[in-house]
Amino acid sequence: MSEEHMHHPNYLKIWAMLVGLLVVSVAGAMVGIRVVTLITAFGVACVQAYLVAKNCMHIGAARRFVPYLVATALVLMLLFFSGAAPDVMKPAGVNWVKPAWQEAAVEHDVSLHEARH
Amino acid sequence: MAETLTAASSHGEHAHGEMSFWSKYVFSTDHKVVGLQYMFTGIFMGLIGGFMAYAFRMQLAFPGVEVPGYGLVSPVDYNALVTNHGTIMIFWVAMPVLVAAFGNYLIPLMVGADDMVFPRLNRLSYQVFLLSAIVLICSFFVEGGGFGGAWTAYPPLSAQSQYNLTPLGSSLWLVAVGLEFVAFLIGGINFITTAMNSRAPGMKAYDIPMIVWMIVVASIMFMASVGPLLAGAVMLFMDQNIGTAFFDPDRGGDPILWQHLFWFFGHPEVYVVLLPATGLVADIITVFSRKKLFAYRTVLYTVFATGVLSFTVWAHHQFVAGIDPRMAHVFTVTTLLISIPIAEMMFVYIATLYGGSITLTTPMLWALAFIAEFLIGGVTGVFLGASGADIYFHDTYFVLAHFHYTFFPIAIIGFYAGISFWFPKMFGKMMNETLGKIHFWGTVIPFNLIFIPLFVLGASGQHRRIYDFSHFPNLSAPWQQDLRILATSALLVMLAFQSVFLVNFVWSLWKGRKAGKNPWKSNTLEWTAESPPPHGNWSELPTVYRGPYEYGVPGRDSDYWPQNEPN
Ligand code: HEM
Ligand SMILES: [Cu+2]
Repeated sequence: MSEEHMHHPNYLKIWAMLVGLLVVSVAGAMVGIRVVTLITAFGVACVQAYLVAKNCMHIGAARRFVPYLVATALVLMLLFFSGAAPDVMKPAGVNWVKPAWQEAAVEHDVSLHEARH
Repeated sequence: MAETLTAASSHGEHAHGEMSFWSKYVFSTDHKVVGLQYMFTGIFMGLIGGFMAYAFRMQLAFPGVEVPGYGLVSPVDYNALVTNHGTIMIFWVAMPVLVAAFGNYLIPLMVGADDMVFPRLNRLSYQVFLLSAIVLICSFFVEGGGFGGAWTAYPPLSAQSQYNLTPLGSSLWLVAVGLEFVAFLIGGINFITTAMNSRAPGMKAYDIPMIVWMIVVASIMFMASVGPLLAGAVMLFMDQNIGTAFFDPDRGGDPILWQHLFWFFGHPEVYVVLLPATGLVADIITVFSRKKLFAYRTVLYTVFATGVLSFTVWAHHQFVAGIDPRMAHVFTVTTLLISIPIAEMMFVYIATLYGGSITLTTPMLWALAFIAEFLIGGVTGVFLGASGADIYFHDTYFVLAHFHYTFFPIAIIGFYAGISFWFPKMFGKMMNETLGKIHFWGTVIPFNLIFIPLFVLGASGQHRRIYDFSHFPNLSAPWQQDLRILATSALLVMLAFQSVFLVNFVWSLWKGRKAGKNPWKSNTLEWTAESPPPHGNWSELPTVYRGPYEYGVPGRDSDYWPQNEPN
């Protein structure tokens, strides 16, 4: 036990990195450019999740199959998204519409045609 | 061994003085006791589920009749009965009996361990499960009655009480299902860890009996698929109770999202219950045909392939839900692909039987019936998987007959196969063969007489979830009503024959012939322990020298070769 304890990551440093990244993601949104916002929001979130999983959840130190398991869960999440998104992310489809989405699209000045793609 | 419990009849080295009834049977951490607790709870829930089927089938065959023992089935009752019948049979019968009862009882015994890796978690798993069953049963009695929005709980029907009229029942139903998932997550951790870490010295991956592999793979699949639905259940609960609108299209939500969340879990789930059943069938047919499993590794590879593919087919339940037609093509292809490994597994089982010296004992009859009946269920799934055909078949009794031809072999036939095979180990007595065979034929013949008519009715356009067909002129031809009456009558016969099993069970417990350690001359490790095994299973843990299916090996005097015998 005591030996493992000597190898634990420097939590303070990781915490500082997480806070730094938080600043980046908030600042990114303030620039007001859509692409930048997306990158700073999702990109930074991915890095943060990786840092937490690796250091605070000790996945880096666990047996090999554990990271594989976690990776599998991520793959399943992507799979679910790719199967569900074609219907769930659309405001209208074959024989159905989502009125609330269409109103929102008008409000935010996104043409329906654009929202459909 | 920190605990000082003793198993029911053990007076051997492990007896450390008597424990009270409570700590021995109710709060036990012994994997065998937990397994039996799961089994008896599952049987009890099965009786409730069967009674519900009786009540709503009577209504369908004789609309408006006063059902003996139940009374008049109102439309609201009908919905609640059908919904809870399905929910109970899958989550409170198939899961506890096949995964948890056999998993708990058999895994430590078959891998040569004295108990599960986490015995207290194991006990917790059962307690959470019991709580979930109690919550579900309570939900029938609250104001408005039990949930009636179908076992798939599609919103908006499930989300909004002005539609389902069961505000309390539907929330309690969700809580019960959620608790049940938690119980099986805890249990699954145990199965996986025990099979990975507690195997007897010498037991390599390919020496593990099939049922252990299957339960482990099933537990992994359950873990990987249940997350989205658990999240979905929380979202639905909030839609019901605190006014969120995750699934309400008028307020920006999406009801189809629930269908995706449900079936992303729901389809893997059907394989979660299938795999343990196919595992125990493999173990039984090898014993009673005295032959090696035809292709051990092939079976394993088919299981892995099925496990992976089962995550890619879910939207075949949604072909007519308004999903993108291009996605329907994708899901048709994956659905047709997944039938390949499953078909291959069935071929391997049939090849195992070929040329064997077959004895038709009761467990063997059940195992063979599993293969025959499940094949019908699997093949009809292929029709449903073709999106074009499914536009016609969807939500008809054809679908209902399809999944009963899969679930019934799994949950009922599989259970009877397993219990008649391992009863001698669990209780130290043999079951009565004559009663067993009467029960077998009295179950399997009526089963087909129930569901073949329902295939025909489904193909004639009979929709599911209809309370009284006499309101639909197209569905009220005399021949259609006759078939409904035939199905219901066969159900009555089948239910009546279940009493033969209960009698046999109780009678064999008291009066059955003593079993000895290894009545079936089987190879696997559980048969080297006493019957029933004491707490701790063996006084000296076994060592393994070979795979589990060395039957009829040429050049040996005896036709079996236990895994623990050096030579
Ligand atoms: C492991 C054995 C199986 C089980 C336990 C099972 C179970 C089920 C259940 C419960 C449903 C109906 C759900 C509902 O609407 O309430 C269903 C529908 C369906 N099954 Fe299976 N199934 C099995 C095997 C298969 C196979 C092998 C295939 C195809 C190759 C298949 C294809 C389908 C399709 C396409 C549907 C949707 C039909 C519709 O709703 O229109 N199933 N199955
Ligand atoms: Cu499916």
